[in-house]
This record gives sequence, C-alpha cells and structure tokens, in this order.
Amino acid sequence: MTTRVHLTESANQIYFDKNKAREKICAVWLKSQAKKVRKSVLLATTVGIVNGGLVIGQSALLALVLQAIIIDKLSVESLIPYFLGLASVFIARGLCVYSYPVFGFEAGARIRVNIRQQLQDKFLELGPSVIKQYQSGALATLTLEQVDALEHYFSRYLPQQMLVGILPIIFILVVMPVNWVVGIIFLVTGPLVIVFMALIGMGAASASRNQFLAMSRMSGYFLDRLQGLSTLKLFGVATAELKNINEMAEGFREKTMAVLHIAFLSSAVLEFFSAVAVALVAVYVGLGLLGQMPFGPAEHITLKEALFVLLLAPEFFMPFRQLAVNYHDRATALGASDAILAVLEQEPVLKNISTHSYCNIDKSLIIFNKVCKNYTQRTVLIDIDLSIQKGEKVALIGESGAGKTTLINLLLGFEQPTSGTVLLKGDIVNQTKSTKMIAWVGQSAAIFHGSVKENIALAEPDASLEQIYEAAKAAGVTEFAGLETQIGERGYGLSGGQLQRVALARAFLKNSEIIILDEPTANLDETNKIKLLEVIEQLFKDKTLIIATHDPLVIDRMDKCIKLAHGEVQR
Amino acid sequence: MRDAWFFLKLFKPYSAWLLAGVALSLLTSLAAIILLTLSGWFISASAIAGLVAIDGNALAFNFMLPAAQIRALAITRTLGRYAERLVTHEATFRVLAHIRSWFFQHTIPLLPGRLALIRSGDLLSRMTSDIDALDALYLRLVAPITVAIIGGVVVTAFLATYAPVISITNGVILLVAGLLIPWVFNQLGNEGAERITVLMANYKIRQVDTFQGFTDLVANQAYDRFSAFLSQFSDRMIHTQRQNNQLTAISSALTYLLSQVSLLLALVFAGFLFTENKLTGPEVALVVFCVLATFELVTPLPQAIQMLAKLQKSAQRIRQIVELEPSIKEPQQAVLLPKQFDLHLSDISFRYSQQQDWVLKHINLSILQGTKVAIVGASGSGKTTLLHLLMRYYDPDLGEVKLAQQSLKSYATEQLMTCFGVLSQRSQLFAATIKENLLIAKPSATTVELDAAINAAGLKKFVSSLPDGIDTWVGESGVKVSGGEARRIALARLYLKDAPILILDEPTEGLDADTEREVFNALSDFAQHKTIVMLTHRVVGLALMDNVYTMENGVLSQL
Repeated sequence: MTTRVHLTESANQIYFDKNKAREKICAVWLKSQAKKVRKSVLLATTVGIVNGGLVIGQSALLALVLQAIIIDKLSVESLIPYFLGLASVFIARGLCVYSYPVFGFEAGARIRVNIRQQLQDKFLELGPSVIKQYQSGALATLTLEQVDALEHYFSRYLPQQMLVGILPIIFILVVMPVNWVVGIIFLVTGPLVIVFMALIGMGAASASRNQFLAMSRMSGYFLDRLQGLSTLKLFGVATAELKNINEMAEGFREKTMAVLHIAFLSSAVLEFFSAVAVALVAVYVGLGLLGQMPFGPAEHITLKEALFVLLLAPEFFMPFRQLAVNYHDRATALGASDAILAVLEQEPVLKNISTHSYCNIDKSLIIFNKVCKNYTQRTVLIDIDLSIQKGEKVALIGESGAGKTTLINLLLGFEQPTSGTVLLKGDIVNQTKSTKMIAWVGQSAAIFHGSVKENIALAEPDASLEQIYEAAKAAGVTEFAGLETQIGERGYGLSGGQLQRVALARAFLKNSEIIILDEPTANLDETNKIKLLEVIEQLFKDKTLIIATHDPLVIDRMDKCIKLAHGEVQR
Repeated sequence: MRDAWFFLKLFKPYSAWLLAGVALSLLTSLAAIILLTLSGWFISASAIAGLVAIDGNALAFNFMLPAAQIRALAITRTLGRYAERLVTHEATFRVLAHIRSWFFQHTIPLLPGRLALIRSGDLLSRMTSDIDALDALYLRLVAPITVAIIGGVVVTAFLATYAPVISITNGVILLVAGLLIPWVFNQLGNEGAERITVLMANYKIRQVDTFQGFTDLVANQAYDRFSAFLSQFSDRMIHTQRQNNQLTAISSALTYLLSQVSLLLALVFAGFLFTENKLTGPEVALVVFCVLATFELVTPLPQAIQMLAKLQKSAQRIRQIVELEPSIKEPQQAVLLPKQFDLHLSDISFRYSQQQDWVLKHINLSILQGTKVAIVGASGSGKTTLLHLLMRYYDPDLGEVKLAQQSLKSYATEQLMTCFGVLSQRSQLFAATIKENLLIAKPSATTVELDAAINAAGLKKFVSSLPDGIDTWVGESGVKVSGGEARRIALARLYLKDAPILILDEPTEGLDADTEREVFNALSDFAQHKTIVMLTHRVVGLALMDNVYTMENGVLSQL
C-alpha cells in the first residue's frame, strides 16, 4: 500500500492560528487557578530568595578565606570562625534545597485535588447523555494523567518564574557597590539573555506544534494500522506495511529533532551569554589585579573582591537556566489544560428548572405534554402526548431508532425536551427528583467491582443485610451467588441473565414508585426469558412498570402498549 | 537491569552515534571544570603578580595565554554543549525509530490469535509512550554515568598531582554522592514508587468503572458516593507522592551538603598545604575551584537512578509483547497450496485456555469446494471461534482441520491467507484513499479491475458523488463513510482478492434492509462458484445456502 502522510504547510498554519488563540485561553485559565495555591507558591519563592541570599554570603566567605590564606598568609587555625560561618551557610542552604521542592509539591498537590474535584462535579452536571459520548478510557486519562501533568507548572515553573524576576536584581544590587563595572556587565547581559530566549522561544512554539501534529498523526496512523493488522495480514500486506511504519517513525524523529534543535539553540544562547559574562568578569578583574586595567574599580581591586564577583557571575545566570529547564513544564501544562478545559467549559445541557408544581387537572403519575426533542441534525420525538397511571404496566415498543431511549432519558431527567413538558406526579421532571422516584435498569446493567451485596445496595448503601438478602432472594440472585461473592469489572464471571437479576434486585431494593426496564430479555433464550419475566412480574406487582422491548412475550404480559414509530406515538 | 540490557543490544547498530555523543558530552563537562579551575588560578596568580609588580619588580607574568585559554574554554563549553545535545538526541531518536518498526514487526505474527485480549489502545501506548520512555536509557542513564565515571577519574588524577589528600577525600565524597546516595534513596523510594504505580492503575480501573456505569450510578443516586471514594483514592496517591518527593528532596539536600563538605575540607587542607609551602597561592585557588566544579558531574545521577524504575516498567511492557509466542507455529516445510479447496473438520474441540470452558465441542463438518454453508447461532455460541480455527488463527486442542486432505498446519500461513476472503461486520477501513483501501486486496490491480470491483460492490454511485472520486481520503480524519458504504468497500476488496473460500461473518449486521438485499445480490452473482461459510444469528440470506447448521454452546448440529 502506498500511503502518503499528509503534513502540508498550509494545514499546519491553520492549525497554529487556531492553537495560538486556544493557548492564550489555557494560559489565562492556568493563571487563574494559581490563585488557589498562592501561599505555597509564595513560600517556595521565599525559600528560593533566601537561598539566593545565602549564595551571596557563601561567595563572600569563600573569597575572604582565600584572600586570608593566599595574600594575608594567615594561619588556618585563625580562620576557624570563617570555616564555621561557611559550614552554617552550607547547612542553611541544605535546608533550602530540601524545602524548595517540598513547598512546591504542596502547590501542585492542592491544585490537582481541586481540579479533580471540579471535573468530578462537572461530569455529574453534564449528565449521562453527554458523558456517554466520551470514551471512558479517555475520560479516565483526563482525570488521572492530564491532571497530574499540571503539577510541575505550579510546583516548579511558577516559583521559578518569580525568582527570575527577583534574584538577578538582588545580585546586581549586591555587586554594584563592590564593583560597578561587573554590575554593568550583569545589567547588560541579563536582559539580552531574556530577549534572545524570547526570540528563539517564538520559533520553538511553532516547531513544537509541528512536532505535536506529527506525534498525533503518528499515533493515529499506528492505531489505525494496529487495529487493522489482522486485515492487513489477511491480504498478505502486513510486512509491506513495515516500510510505512518506518517512514512514519522517521518523520516523527525529524520533527522532534527540529524542535530540540531550537530548544538547544536557546539554551546555547543562554550558555553563551553566561560564558561570555563570566569570561569578561574573569579577564577584567584579572587584568585589574595585574594593574593592567586602568579603568573603573579594577584599578585598586583586591583578591577577595575579584573572587567574590567571579563566584557570583555563574550564579547570576542560574535562575535563567533553571527557568529554561522548567519552560517545558509550562508547555506540558498548557497541553493538559487544553484537554481539561474542553470538559470544564462545556455548557451543561440540563438547565436548572424551578420545581414549582405545574397546574394541571390531569392527576396521572406520568404525563408527556406535546414533547418534542431535536438534536442538531435530526428530530427524534415529535409532539408526544402520553399519560401513565399509577400501577399501570406498560410496554414501550418500536424499531431501534424510533425514540424509545430518548423518551426514557427525558423521563429520567438525563435530557430535557426541546419543547413541551414532562411531568412526574404533577411536577416538571428534573434529574434529582426522577432518580429518586424511578428505578431504572438499562439494557446492559452496569456491575461494579465489589461484592454482590454492594452491587445490590447501590442505591441504598444503608440497607440492612436482611433487606439486601430479601431483594437478592426475590430476584433469584441467591440461586447462583452469595451476597459476599466478588464480581469483577463489568460483571465478569456472571452470565447475561444473571447480571439482569442482580440489576433487578438492585431496583427492587431501591423500592421506587416507578420501575423502568430497557430490553430486559435481550440476549436470553426462551426458558430464561420466561423465568425472568416471572421474576419481574412478582417483584414489581404493585409498582408502575414500564418496559421498553421488542419481545412479543413481554408485550403479552403488559396491560398497555405504547408504540413509537419515527418519533411519534402510534396507538 | 536485565531489561535495560536487552534494549541496549538494540542500540548496537547506532554505536558510532552513541559513542560520539558520550565523547562530546565528556569534552563539554571537562571544559566546564577546567574553565572554573583555570579562572580561579588566573585570578589568584594575577593578584600575586600584581602585588609583586607594585613592589617594583619587573612583571614576568604572562597573562595573555591563560586569558586566551579561558576564552577558548568558554567557547568549547558552549558549542560543545550544543553539539553534544544534538548528537545524543539524534542518536537516541534514531534508535527509537528503529525500535518502533522492530516492535511492529514483532506484533505481526501475534495477531489476531495472541493479542485478541489486548486492546488496541494498550498496544498503541506500548508502541508510542513506552518506546518514547526508552529515550532515558541512553540520555539519562548510560551517557551521564559514563561521563561521571571517566570525568571523576580524570579530575581525581589531576588533583592528585597537586594535593593527594584533597584528591582522595574529594574522590571518596564523589563516590558517595554519585553512587551511594542515589542507590540508598532509590531503595528507600522503591516501595513508594511501586505503591504509586499500583494506586494509579487501581484509580484508573475504578474511574473507568465509574464512567462505564455512569448512567446506572446517576440513576441510583450513587455517583456522589463513588466520586467521594475516588477523591479519597486520589488523596492517597498524592500522599504517597508527597513522601517520595520528600525523599528526593532529602537526597538532593544531602548531595548538596556533601559537595560543600568536600569544598570545606579542600579549603582547610589547602590552607595547611600552603603554610607548609607544598602549594603556592594560585594553586590553592586552583584546587578549591576544581573541587567546586567537579560536583556538576554527579548532579544528574540521582535523577538517572530514579528513572531506572520507570524505564524498567516500560521496557517490561514492550518485552511482554515482543516475547509472546505466536498462537500458531509455521510449518518446517510448507506444502504448496492445493488446486482444490475442500475443508474437513474432524472431531474438533477448542478452548482459549486450560482454565476456561470448552468453546467448541467435538465438531465434525465437511465443506466441499463450491458448497455454501450457513451457521446460525447466538453470540457467544462459538461460531466465530470456529471460523478462526478454519483460517488457523488458532489450532484446535483436539481434532484436526484439513484443507484438501492436508492438515492446515502444513501450509505456510501467508499462503493459507490467500485462500480466504473475509467480509465481517467490522470491515476495517484504513486512513487512506478509497483506492489505497482497495489496493490492499490486490496491489497490482489495474484501473479496469478497480472499476469492475466498484461496480460489483454497488459503490459506483457513492464514488462518483465524491469530488475526488476514488482518490477521496477515508477513515479517520477523512470523509465520513457510512456503515453501508464501508461494507461495500470491504465487498469490493473481497471481489478484488478473488479468493476461493469466502468467510462471511454476520456480513449484513447493522445494515438497513435495502443495503442488506443489495449486498446479498452482489454476493450471489460473484460467489457462484466459490465456497461460502456464513455466520449469522438471524435467518437472513439463507436462501443462497446449500446447508444450514445451528451452533449452540459449542455444539454444531445440522438443521
């Protein structure tokens, strides 16, 4: 197969422009989140500043000691106070080295907890009809890995960003009175570093998007080919595909290297300036010491002054270098916040509705009043008028796609009608109210990690053991499992019919007024079907029961039949 | 460590790149150390020479040479660092690209039999992020450790020429800071790191569980409870991470302190040596500055050793796949494909593993060339498994499948595949043009043949409605293709491949009644003289069939 890889420049340009605006939104959001952890970030920054002060002290002491030994020829014993001073500076710096990441961590931790909570709340607000459209794996990655990816922005990048604004100024202020020429060397090279890094950074942003694009293309391509590998093998072209995989991987390498090229160039610029500055300082003070520099304070410079500024020179550039390292954390956080924001920004489809009683003479339990439901593309329900009385047993039938599921979702409050009203006991439906009044069992009931007992007591966690046992027994669960039997992910180990029983026991224990069952007999053979229907009849004999079904066996057993076709009720 | 070694062997073809990277990296590190050392010496020597000059003696100090050397070293360091990064990364990414295709190559024989249980997303993450994680093996582990060892030896030897005492103390402290501390803290942090991996995996499972059962949770008003439980889980994860972060912080504080202890000792020793006239003034500064600079060699090591655990995990995940035995073995000496294609299954039984129940039980079935057979059964009855045995995705545990009186095991799998044309409900469309999707079936197909296939599959109208026609990009990121159209493309592939045995696995599942009829019409024309084995759980299209069987709980019976 001769598959080309599309990576045209114009496609990239469009992608950039769209992304630039998006990146700004993400950056603003990240900043706004930072307010929540201001204290920890400030603490970490303070530690960084203290550490900077200690660096100055350490350089001064070191310079003094060397001067004392080499020039003043003092004995080592007489220098003991200096050594003790140095030792205490070292210990204090050790404490800074320890506490800087510890405070930073708290900032990152608190943010992660907070955003996880925001997401969990948002999921509920969006409701099942929206959540179902996502892949559960993708959402799980969002709440775990993507949220974790934010950590270093808050724990490392933010404190470092503040340090870059503060420490170099402190260094310049300290150096100025000692040697103003060196101070000016710092003053000139510092901003230059920033300007050049920003210039290169702009190029880096576009190159890194290029790489990002290449990476998502590569992942997409690999997934495509891995999923279709059986097909490729069937047609005998799997080995030929290797060539394309190779090309893809090589293309990704080139794009990655292009990004790194720029990143390395930017750190090379940094290194270059810092090296030039250090060399300038060294040569300036060195010549001054030799008496060959008839300019500025170097004319009368001492060794201790010379060593002090020389030791400080590389330290002056340290915050810049560290920020360059942490810049990557920012890019990672921006990427992650894009995905997180995509969920947090979603407008909930469920509007808050006042639950005030709706004036109606009709005293039916459930009323659909001229209900329409449209999605962007198509109309699913048209002018539905229905009423269901307390205690009625209703079969809801219709082809798949006729609107049964939407109708049930409206009743459960998972979705809201485009027009018209759905009333439950005379009140307009909302999710909280309806989930209390209705027990719903879906086509494939969800079973969670844990025991049968926990699964039955899903809606009633405080139910007594007797109540749970009674429900299990009534639904026939006790015939195949004990209450403490552990069931795995998606009910692994239980058959379809058995899963249905557990779900029925769950609904029975919930003891709601209305029971809705969605295709309870799908995937069951005749014998099991009849058995199950008997159980259902027994369990819910005094409830209002609505069953969505195709099955004539089920329809026969109901009092009433509502048929949906093309979004309309046919009686 | 064994996993790391396994992958290092894959690095071999790129050893020239890798060596160049290490050499440059060593050069750069040494340049940085010499730069600081020389500067210290230069300043002190200048100071002393300056004092002498003030005393009125002639100035004999040549300051031009060291000043030039300092400039040269500064440039070497800057350029060297840049070149080193380019070369080491280029080397690494070349290796990774190579590992990726190596990985893909190893998955080919594993599908579909062996990897049926591994989700494609999981496989993808092994092929992308796990392989990406291997970059640390050279960049973070092998290269810095090599540089630290060689650099450490060079510096220690250099210091020994001036002051053996300082050389020894500094060497010992370097060893402790570079090896002992990272090792000890890695041991201490190991348990926590493992706990985090387990916690994360469990969190993810629960989170997926919550999303998959989301509707049930909301309907049962249990979401808040589950959400609170997840938050607790997240708190536990973060708490463990906090402990690990503390350990890391302590380890870097200790490493820092050790470097300062070494500096302080060097200062004191140098002071004594100076008073004993064993070191000159400038040499004191040289030694002290050299000690100060050497600790840059070991700073990347704690991180390197921390990477090891993560690296190990990724390496294992890659090896897990690559070292799987394929579910079938290729014959030593393959028999040539026959001219006729009678299939015989005699007393076949099969189960996926020893622990699981039998999926197929004592199945006997003969499908002579040209006969058309349908197998009706509910999902889970074992009919798809039966097809997989026919195409030798697996071998039966008992009994034998024969093609033209020869065991399937005696044919080369690639040859065997040419006998089968498959149409299933999961027709795989690739992200490529329609034409490329068709050419998979017959890379040499001419335009005339392609047109004929498109006509036969009833795709003509669809293709001519597209502005780019047959060159339209489909699949992910391409034009949306409906289920019916995708099935027709698969049908056209079937036509192009022109295999003698057609395997139809619920061929019209999910299609509307009109499309279903058209697909069957197209099939009946083109498959007149071919063998057909069709699976279905509904009674559709059975008119075409010579024999109809039912499958229930792994038992086959004729209708």
